[in-house]
Amino acid sequence: MPGNASIPPRGPLHWNTRNVIRFIHGNKNRGPDVLRMSRPSPFDDVRGQLGALLPRLRRFARVIARNVHDADDLVQVAVEKALTRADQWRPESRLDSWMFGIMKNAWIDEIRARRRRGKVYAPEEAGLNVGDRSAEDRDDALSVQAAMERLPDEQRLAVALVLIEGLSYKEAAEALGIPIGTLTSRLARGREALQALLADAPEAPR
Amino acid sequence: MRFSDEMLMAYADGELDLVARAEIEAAIAADPEMARAVQRHQALRGRVQAAYQGVLDEPVPAQLSSLVLPPVSAPVVDLAARRAAQAAAPPAIPERKRWEMPQWTALAAAVTLGLFVGVFLLRAPEAPYVESDAGLVAHGELAYALTGQLASDAGAGEVHIGISFRDRGGAWCRTFRLQRDAPLAGLACRAGDEWRLQVLAAAAPEEGELRGAAAMPMAVLRAVDAAIDGEPLDAAAEAAARDAGWQ
Repeated sequence: MPGNASIPPRGPLHWNTRNVIRFIHGNKNRGPDVLRMSRPSPFDDVRGQLGALLPRLRRFARVIARNVHDADDLVQVAVEKALTRADQWRPESRLDSWMFGIMKNAWIDEIRARRRRGKVYAPEEAGLNVGDRSAEDRDDALSVQAAMERLPDEQRLAVALVLIEGLSYKEAAEALGIPIGTLTSRLARGREALQALLADAPEAPR
Repeated sequence: MRFSDEMLMAYADGELDLVARAEIEAAIAADPEMARAVQRHQALRGRVQAAYQGVLDEPVPAQLSSLVLPPVSAPVVDLAARRAAQAAAPPAIPERKRWEMPQWTALAAAVTLGLFVGVFLLRAPEAPYVESDAGLVAHGELAYALTGQLASDAGAGEVHIGISFRDRGGAWCRTFRLQRDAPLAGLACRAGDEWRLQVLAAAAPEEGELRGAAAMPMAVLRAVDAAIDGEPLDAAAEAAARDAGWQ
């Protein structure tokens, strides 16, 4: 690891960390008490790690909610829930699995609330972001997404957690709150359905 | 010997123990039909994963990333000024029904206004680093960006990431730029859960499209040259290192 000493002082305009700090703070001594790092609370711990997880949470939400706005709203609700219950997360377990479980439950709540309000689903948006890829890859991504949307929720979630998010069967079962045998059979049925759908419709139906 | 399709799926998903794996591999070698079945499961896995990969490259909306930003460190706060600021700010989170757009917008506006109040009334300096026993350690938005942001995420944030690489000791290092009135640039290297600042230098203001290395001060470039082992990461390797948590 290079220290500050790794940059040889050349010329008068040599900025190292300390010099810049003196420059910024005019040599004022900031009380050391405010600079001490304290042991992170569960809240800070969860919040600190969630930032890096957000892209994956958005991806999982996109599989669940099918629509970009609903998906991001779902992530927002789940992150808020996670932060208010940060003390329930066990640091020895995976934060991503825990978050996926919260997202699943938040989505079930949302669906129930919509039924109560008699609100229909927002129309699906044609085409998720499939990235900057060749037309062939894009077409394939669209047909796979279309096939995924036709799966029942329970199969889609199992497929998403294991095939997309790379969770083990045990982790996925825990995230969904189901026995591992139930997970493997949902996964198997989801896979069979996808194989059939993708064999029948190699091109996106849209 | 026949294996159930569920067994073959579990094999394709890497779920089997060594013994079962060896049995299946022997069976695959002897039975082309079984080999094709396994290959089909593996191909589907890759295809489904690829179909949603694009989401990871999207910039995370500020509405979400702002939820997990560390609090601005405010070393000295005048209590009267803070009360005045709180009185001036709108109620932080209004009672709302979930999932309605106007409420989200109102929330975003309240948060934005709150930030402005915080920045301009309290004049709380947001220190991008704190001092620890091991020297200066990235803090706040800078630490957050170093851990989670990619060079391609030239979003609305204050921090821009430059190049990422491994130093000669095997630690991950990244250059960054802090966009503010007096722009700063520097090099930080990973040590445990922290990003230790190696160099921090005043940077020339960014002009037009001039970004990245062109906007890096000489002191930072020299520090990179002195530290780097091999080449900087390309975008894919950078994303992979980020996703692995800079381990």
